[in-house]
Amino acid sequence: MSKKMKVALTVLVIMILAVPVGLLTDAPAFGEWDPDYYLKKLGFIPKGMQHFPQLQHPILPDYSIPGANEVLGYYVSAVVGAALVFLIWFIIGKIIAKKHSNS
Amino acid sequence: MHIPDGYLSPTTVALSYAVMIPLWAYGFKKLKEKLDEKTLPLLGTLSALSFLIMMFNVPVPGGTSGHAIGTALIAIMFDPWIAFMAVSFVLLIQAVVFGDGGISTWAVNSFDMAFVAAFVGYYTFQFLKDKTKFAPFIAGWFSISVAALCDSIFLGIQPIFWHDAAGHPLYFPFGLSVTIPAMLLAHMGVFGIVEGAFTQIVYSFLQKRAEKAQQEVVA
Repeated sequence: MSKKMKVALTVLVIMILAVPVGLLTDAPAFGEWDPDYYLKKLGFIPKGMQHFPQLQHPILPDYSIPGANEVLGYYVSAVVGAALVFLIWFIIGKIIAKKHSNS
Repeated sequence: MHIPDGYLSPTTVALSYAVMIPLWAYGFKKLKEKLDEKTLPLLGTLSALSFLIMMFNVPVPGGTSGHAIGTALIAIMFDPWIAFMAVSFVLLIQAVVFGDGGISTWAVNSFDMAFVAAFVGYYTFQFLKDKTKFAPFIAGWFSISVAALCDSIFLGIQPIFWHDAAGHPLYFPFGLSVTIPAMLLAHMGVFGIVEGAFTQIVYSFLQKRAEKAQQEVVA
């Protein structure tokens, strides 16, 4: 393994271990509020927003396991997310290797 | 900066996909040209770092929070097209698996946090790398700040163009005079500092290791 890879993986492990730090604030991000926020702030939920088709059925909504401990859910989300990122690059690597060997 | 579904009008969504699909197609071509089995593990790891750094929420005055995005680091370590594709994938995972950012808004979010952030970060670094050792910090800081400006424009134009006869907004309700200062101040003042520090620290670690390894080979 290259030296760069070792350093990058060390940073990765440290960040996964430290990820619950991200839970210290429960303030929402600007412009990412739940529809209820607009009801409180404006007295109504914008119509197009309210009637927008439901496109998402996340398995780990908001980086949590519904009903489980918050920190545990965050840890699982960090590991699952990082693993999926690697999986995507692994698949792309396979596609690229195939194209190279064909040409 | 992860705009949820329902925040942007269908017209905005359609236009954004019309712009992004050719960019993704071109980006994919670039991946094939530039990647090989030697570069993939490091790219995978830095992409995972981008996913993780977005989980470190930092509060700002005014009752909101935010985070760094890690795009600039990939752009300066590899190539802006590769960083654009990498962070687009991260955003897709976040939208599908975690409900962070919408599906309809994936194109806009990828434009801001992946495309704009990658190219601004890359060219800022190229311009400054021989002038200051803080080039990675400034590249990271500027990259997320410009991305935030783009995000605030997409949000802020919604009530201008899309409202009902009574003037009520149909989608995101706050205009540019609210979104631009809120997004820019928070990103230039806080999240950009985190982004800059993250880019500088990880970049320095990676470069130092690479140089050491090279010296050992020479010796």
